[in-house]
Amino acid sequence: MKKRHYMVLFTLFFAVVLFMAACTDDAGTGSTGDSQSENASGDQGSDEAEAQNGKKTLVFGRGNDSLQLDPSKVTDGESIYVTNQIFDPLVRYKTDSTEVKPALATEWNVSDDGLVWTFTLRDDVTFHDGTDFTAEDVVYNFERWTSSGDFSYYAYMFGSTDEDMGGIIENVKATGDYEVKFTLSEPNAPFLQTLAMPPFGIASPEAIEKHGEDFFKNPVGTGPFVFEEWIPDDKITLSKNEDYFGDMANIDEVIFRTIPDNGARFLELQAGSIDLMKGLNPQDIQTAENDENLQVIRRPSMNVSYMAFNTSKKGPMSKKLVRQAINLAIDKEELMSLYDGIGKPAKNPLPPSLWGYNDNIEDYGYDVEEAKKLLAEAGYADGFNINLHTFANPRPYMPQPKITAQAIQEMLKDVNINVEVVVNDWDTHTSGEDTSYDMKFLGWTGDNGDPDNFLYVLLDKDNANASAGNVAMYKSDEVHDLLKAAQTEMDQEERIEYYMEAQKIIHEDAPWFPIAHTTPPIAASKNVKNYVPHPTGTEPFNLLDLEK
Amino acid sequence: MSLQPNSITNPDLSETKNAKTAKPRSLWMDSLFHLLKSKTSLIGFCIIFILIVTAIFAPLIATHSPTEQSILNQYQTPSSEHWLGTDALGRDIFSRIIYGTRISIQIGVIAVGISMIIGVLLGSVAGYFGKWADQIIMRFVDILLAFPSILLAIALVAVLGPSLRNAMIAVGIIGIPQFARIIRSAVLSVKETEYIEAARAIGAKHGRTLMQHVLPNCIAPIIVQATLSVGTAILDAAGLSFLGLGAQPPTPEWGAMLSDGRAALQNAPWVITFPGLAIFFVVIGFNLFGDGLRDALDPKLKK
Repeated sequence: MKKRHYMVLFTLFFAVVLFMAACTDDAGTGSTGDSQSENASGDQGSDEAEAQNGKKTLVFGRGNDSLQLDPSKVTDGESIYVTNQIFDPLVRYKTDSTEVKPALATEWNVSDDGLVWTFTLRDDVTFHDGTDFTAEDVVYNFERWTSSGDFSYYAYMFGSTDEDMGGIIENVKATGDYEVKFTLSEPNAPFLQTLAMPPFGIASPEAIEKHGEDFFKNPVGTGPFVFEEWIPDDKITLSKNEDYFGDMANIDEVIFRTIPDNGARFLELQAGSIDLMKGLNPQDIQTAENDENLQVIRRPSMNVSYMAFNTSKKGPMSKKLVRQAINLAIDKEELMSLYDGIGKPAKNPLPPSLWGYNDNIEDYGYDVEEAKKLLAEAGYADGFNINLHTFANPRPYMPQPKITAQAIQEMLKDVNINVEVVVNDWDTHTSGEDTSYDMKFLGWTGDNGDPDNFLYVLLDKDNANASAGNVAMYKSDEVHDLLKAAQTEMDQEERIEYYMEAQKIIHEDAPWFPIAHTTPPIAASKNVKNYVPHPTGTEPFNLLDLEK
Repeated sequence: MSLQPNSITNPDLSETKNAKTAKPRSLWMDSLFHLLKSKTSLIGFCIIFILIVTAIFAPLIATHSPTEQSILNQYQTPSSEHWLGTDALGRDIFSRIIYGTRISIQIGVIAVGISMIIGVLLGSVAGYFGKWADQIIMRFVDILLAFPSILLAIALVAVLGPSLRNAMIAVGIIGIPQFARIIRSAVLSVKETEYIEAARAIGAKHGRTLMQHVLPNCIAPIIVQATLSVGTAILDAAGLSFLGLGAQPPTPEWGAMLSDGRAALQNAPWVITFPGLAIFFVVIGFNLFGDGLRDALDPKLKK
């Protein structure tokens, strides 16, 4: 009898445990289900809300989340895409070119020696937090950018070093409430172009003080959109700036959604849950063009994708002959099939759309025998093992990074080079912590339409580091001298000469295997009007409109 | 089951045979008979048989090299030249799937081998010695069970670094708890039997008792669990490879093939359909066979 009691108790206990397990399980799946439907209904909700009160919401789909919403600290396009809506630089690019137009500054002039730049600022601008914009704020921002080495774009563009944080900018002074004066240590030809870059957007000093380290999560600028919310790896929400001094936005809200997979993102576009997407798979272009609800828009080409050789690493990569041999051993024409018509083979680091492009350079071409000869000459006739770091998700300049890496892996087998393909996620790939790479895929979209922005940032010894700048660690004094000379020369014809020469040396030293220049396709719903993609890869959305 | 069918089919031999082996058919023969009688397990067996034959004769069956690329022939539809079409690099999908069987079998055998050896060791020690050994081992096993298995595998690979070998180790480790639990319960029941008591009584040491007397009598659940685990292991490893944490390019691993072909889902569905089907059939094969084995080896389920 007693034993039976135990049995009953045990059974009851077991039943309770099972019941609870079932419950928690249910609750678990139930809640995820709920949150999903919440998400879905959230999106629909915004659609419905839109229908009700006429609120226009643009949902923008992209492959990676922003790293930080402080443009001065990052170099990745996804961060800058968002901050370009929130912050205004002193001058901005015209809608469809890299010519500059007034933004926070209305007028500017430069002294005859090219050293002193004076900007007259608008007097009617307020930051999103309500504080007024004055010349002191500009000074504050520039002082902040020269306060530490965290501000990578400042360092790239103005050549600051650990000893000299200011680089070529000697000082920035407020000479009036709405006038600011820059004094340079040497003339800098691309100076105005550079100031128009989104990383040099002016942030509210009050917000910087208030949020300190967390400013990148709470960006406050003067731009056409105000930051609302950031749910990492999910979405960033911005709302219209009702007090914008320029062209007031036509839409009320922008939501940047992160959908890592190109195919999945395209399916969402077809289903109508996003309005506009970057990173269309080239294979999907035809499908999008045939879809009566969709349009395909091509961004003007101003980029390059490349495979950098780690020239500072001991071993084969430090030998010029090996690097040239690899250039010869890869069939670039064939790689273009992986770009499905959006890519043109690259032979220079500069895109051909930019002035200063050296078209006289003849690409290495595909010649396995010659490659073998060079390898033998370098003492590597029997080949060697190296790695190739690539990244998982597509980028505008490289639609299929994993597959492209495999293609190169297979091609290099013909010259006895064994390639191990390492697939990194984007953060790891660009963080620069891992310096073990022999070869690395990367690309660059021009920021300001000046050759300096490609050659100096990507191949000058000043910027040799493993994160995003000169990842080839290419340190040529000759190239450095030419690029510096080009920076300080104000005459464009002279500058072209310098860049032509620099490209010749770079071609000979082969720190890269340049792959392609692309016209990145963007797919949008037909409701999206007045959308003009900018060659620099980002554009403010204030002119864009939605017709629903 | 009696010996009747046998004696009827071989009437002339029956007398001598009966005289020599007058005992009932062994457990193994009996189980095999049961196994082959069930249609589902026969299907499972056939799939596994085909898989093994394919793996052994892969170079003879494949029409192309699995890594030979020809980018100009990318995304070809299935044809007489490329039976299952080609992928983004113009590689022959049929040949890649054929060579992929080798990798899948390798994963299945090695990963399950790892879980089995460690799981059986832990489970039998826990079950046989009981007390604190049992407590320590089973709490450790509980900790392993507390993680969702694929998450644990991802964490392990993240620590070890992504490669096929590490994926196999990770999948092997996440399979340990099942083995440990099943073996422990089997050992618990076997160790109470009289023949174990007898072995102990004539002075057999613990090690000998465990290895010679207890474990051999727990072999049936081990075999069943191992068979069922192979399917899961292949699936988990394919999952890891799909996430880029398992087989590295250009290895023709099925999960990695799915991952590579995903971009072309709308335009070239065959690139992911066939590796997907391959995974499906192999997993279902091992599951059907494992289920059949369980029924066949379980005396309680026999008529």
